[in-house]
Amino acid sequence: MSSGTVEVRLTVNGVEYARSVEPRYLLVDFLRHELGLTGTHVGCEQGVCGACTVLLDGVTARSCLHFAVQVSGAEITTIEGVTADDTLSPIQEAFHSNHALQCGYCTPGFVLTTVELLRENSAPDESEIRQGLTNNICRCTGYVNIIKAVAEAAGNMKNGAG
Amino acid sequence: MAVQDRPDESSWKIVGQSVPRREDAWLLTGKGCYVDDVPEPPNTLHLGFVLSPEAHARIVSIDVAEAKALPGVFDVLTGEDVAALAQPIRTGFLLEGHRDTSRDAVARDKVRFVGEAVAVVVAENPYVAEDGVERVHITYDPLPAAVDLESAARDDAPVVHEELGTNILLESTFATEGLDEAFAGATHVIKETFRTGRIAGVPMEPRGCLATTDRAGEELTVWTSTQIPNIVKTALGKLLGHPESNIRVITPDVGGGFGTKAHFYPEELVCPALALKYGRPVEWIQDRREELLTNIHAREHIYTVEAGIDADGVIVAMHCNMMANSGAYSSYPFGATLEPVGGVRFVLGPYHIRNYGYETRAVASHTCPAGAYRGTAQPTAMLAIEGMMDRIARKVGIDPAEARRRNLIQPDQLPYTTAVGMFYSTGSYTESLARAMEMIGYEDYRASQPADRLVDGKYRGIGICCYTENSGMGVAAIRARGWSTLPGFDGALVRVATDGKVKAYISHAASGQGHYTSFAQIVADQVGVPFEDVSIVVGDTGQTPAGTNTFASRGTVTGGGAAIRACLVVADKMKRIAAQVLEVSADDIVLEDGKAVVQGVPDMKLSVREIAEVAYSMSSHDLPEGEDYGLEATDHYDAGMPTIANAVHIAAVAVDAADGTVEVERYVVVHDCGRIINPMIVDGQVHGGAVQALGEVLMEELVYDEAGQLQNATLLEYLLPTALDIPMIEVEHIESVTDENPGGFKGLGEGGVIGGVPALTNAIADALAGIGANVNSNPLRPSHLSGLIAASKRFS
Repeated sequence: MSSGTVEVRLTVNGVEYARSVEPRYLLVDFLRHELGLTGTHVGCEQGVCGACTVLLDGVTARSCLHFAVQVSGAEITTIEGVTADDTLSPIQEAFHSNHALQCGYCTPGFVLTTVELLRENSAPDESEIRQGLTNNICRCTGYVNIIKAVAEAAGNMKNGAG
Repeated sequence: MAVQDRPDESSWKIVGQSVPRREDAWLLTGKGCYVDDVPEPPNTLHLGFVLSPEAHARIVSIDVAEAKALPGVFDVLTGEDVAALAQPIRTGFLLEGHRDTSRDAVARDKVRFVGEAVAVVVAENPYVAEDGVERVHITYDPLPAAVDLESAARDDAPVVHEELGTNILLESTFATEGLDEAFAGATHVIKETFRTGRIAGVPMEPRGCLATTDRAGEELTVWTSTQIPNIVKTALGKLLGHPESNIRVITPDVGGGFGTKAHFYPEELVCPALALKYGRPVEWIQDRREELLTNIHAREHIYTVEAGIDADGVIVAMHCNMMANSGAYSSYPFGATLEPVGGVRFVLGPYHIRNYGYETRAVASHTCPAGAYRGTAQPTAMLAIEGMMDRIARKVGIDPAEARRRNLIQPDQLPYTTAVGMFYSTGSYTESLARAMEMIGYEDYRASQPADRLVDGKYRGIGICCYTENSGMGVAAIRARGWSTLPGFDGALVRVATDGKVKAYISHAASGQGHYTSFAQIVADQVGVPFEDVSIVVGDTGQTPAGTNTFASRGTVTGGGAAIRACLVVADKMKRIAAQVLEVSADDIVLEDGKAVVQGVPDMKLSVREIAEVAYSMSSHDLPEGEDYGLEATDHYDAGMPTIANAVHIAAVAVDAADGTVEVERYVVVHDCGRIINPMIVDGQVHGGAVQALGEVLMEELVYDEAGQLQNATLLEYLLPTALDIPMIEVEHIESVTDENPGGFKGLGEGGVIGGVPALTNAIADALAGIGANVNSNPLRPSHLSGLIAASKRFS
């Protein structure tokens, strides 16, 4: 190893972890390769595509743009932590029933972005949904069904289905 | 064994339903397994490739000392080192007029495009591999580069492959008899040139590869993000000199392909070569910059079309001259022929054109190799023919829809063979146009459209695309194109386990199309079991039969066909076993919902589990005489020549007069892919393709400068559509079932983009028709459109 390591402590999906990694080690690599949470994907490493979106202290963040050591002490939610058990969350359920994913590579990022979007605005109109999703790129679906899924998830969550 | 070769119509029950996708269960919850998610074996080595910064240069020297001295770097190899392990990549084409190229996995002597690998660093982790890449010092002697299509085609252009002495990798001409006479008899001859910009598939998951060997160093297992595992396996066997029987290629989940991943790439050769050399696992994961620099590009085309028409606007003769930029190497397995041959053959679309000729050329240049991107040449070919339809309408003073109606193949002309010999069995060419016009309210739109097209400060226009989609290529289609490394058929193994559950292993590879669901729907119907009792294996050459894999809208026709054939063999055996146990004739047995039932006697039945127990000798009943043990069948299906699907897209757009930005206000599709397996999945494919078309028309372009530097190898600068850019696409279906294949299916993976490019371009052309702008190119970015608008104002 060409440089020293630093200790990084993170609470990920409610579990505390401590690992020693290089200071330059990216948060997304920490999640994927140190913790084995491979649901967070790497799409561009430049913060454009949103495939690596996680919740960092509750707020969406690009895990490819942070060094793990920069966020030591933070609480992270990844796609693996969206639900506590094996069932789908209302957002995931809406993506499933609306066919809002194809290859699935961008999907964890979209789900986490939607978690934040619906937390901040429980009844978004179509324009607000589109605005809320602009940080994430999907190359398969053409977004039509993602927009429908987010609207349906909002409706279901409001009606207490989730 | 005489088995029927196509299923009864009444057997289709789950096929046709929008069954929610099975793969969502893992993809939605972070349990997907893309190549970089495959658990890393102990002692894995990681690769970093040193990429050429020069478009065309002689490699003078490579100094690897500093890189090798870096702690954590295990080895550094040059092109010469890699050449000792793997043969160069050649397509081995059998097509007249095609000149093959030879590509070293890592360049030797010379580099031919920016991004070509020049050395490879092998390290203990990817971070150190990148450190090592920065410490390899290479001296280049730069040479003049041929970059854009027209420059590269000139006689005095720098030659990409000296041994060929020319940049023309393919030249092909064709003409029907009497073409000149037909042109001479035309009332008008209209000529237009259409230019389209270079773009790429840009799947969200870049490529990657992990290769391991077994303890004896004999069995090679390769995980790679590809659409063509079987083709990769054969290529590896040949180029590594390793027994193909000892190679297994696995594609786990693949994060989008769009044709980009239907090619065999140098890194897929280097990883296994080094795994065999070192006896350690070797992994390489591509980053986005490499993805944009080195994964297959497409669509840099020029079409010059001449159409001879009569006074009513009916085409009496047509000629198409096409050129396509092939980049630095003939890509494997399609070579340089994919786009230029496809373009001039597909350009006839759904139109009745008997007198036709073409000239086409593939042109090598010092740019990234070109190849398959969703639709291959069809989006640009349809742009050319549909652009001509609008020009014909203008010439003879009729509506663009009427020009199409007068030229479309009419229902009573089907089945139809085109002037280049493509066979259209069934289709809804006129009906789908009529329905799409109704959906969007075409007549009302036209009636209220002012001559200057200016409504509320925006130029508003409507554009139509009627098109055909080439799908389901079998052996004859593949051979006709000269692709000697592609088999053309596909295979399926259908196995009923002792518990009555069914598993089908199909020679395709999923990259988002929904194989795990659609194929299960087919198998469930044809074995007569509940959908839940069927599971699907794709993307693993160690488990699935031989085949040709997933590209060119082949999946449903070829994989579905193979699955049906294997299912029918299994179903027949199940009926014979049930008949013996129930003491009736096999002809009286119907398989449904997991049971064999005697027709008309619902109480006389046997479950699939009970049948399987007989087949596997786990029952008190004996097998019928002459039957073999087990309950499975492997079959292959050759779909022959392409199956042709069709559709109509109509777009209504608004072009901002102030800044040239385009908003797509309405977008309707009437789509016809024969029998639909899963309507929800079909709609999703149409949406996705149409939005890729939106990117192609409004924003995407890979821009090289004159020296051959790619100016926008990041997603910050290569723009892709977002949720803000898209219309809520409306889709309706017509099902013109074909009898060309067992399922009556037609492919559909590419249609969205094929129809979208011309419909959107023509809508913008219509919006700007009032100011006299001639729109004949892509992309149509705001800067270009505002330039057209400004020019019209200067001259008006």
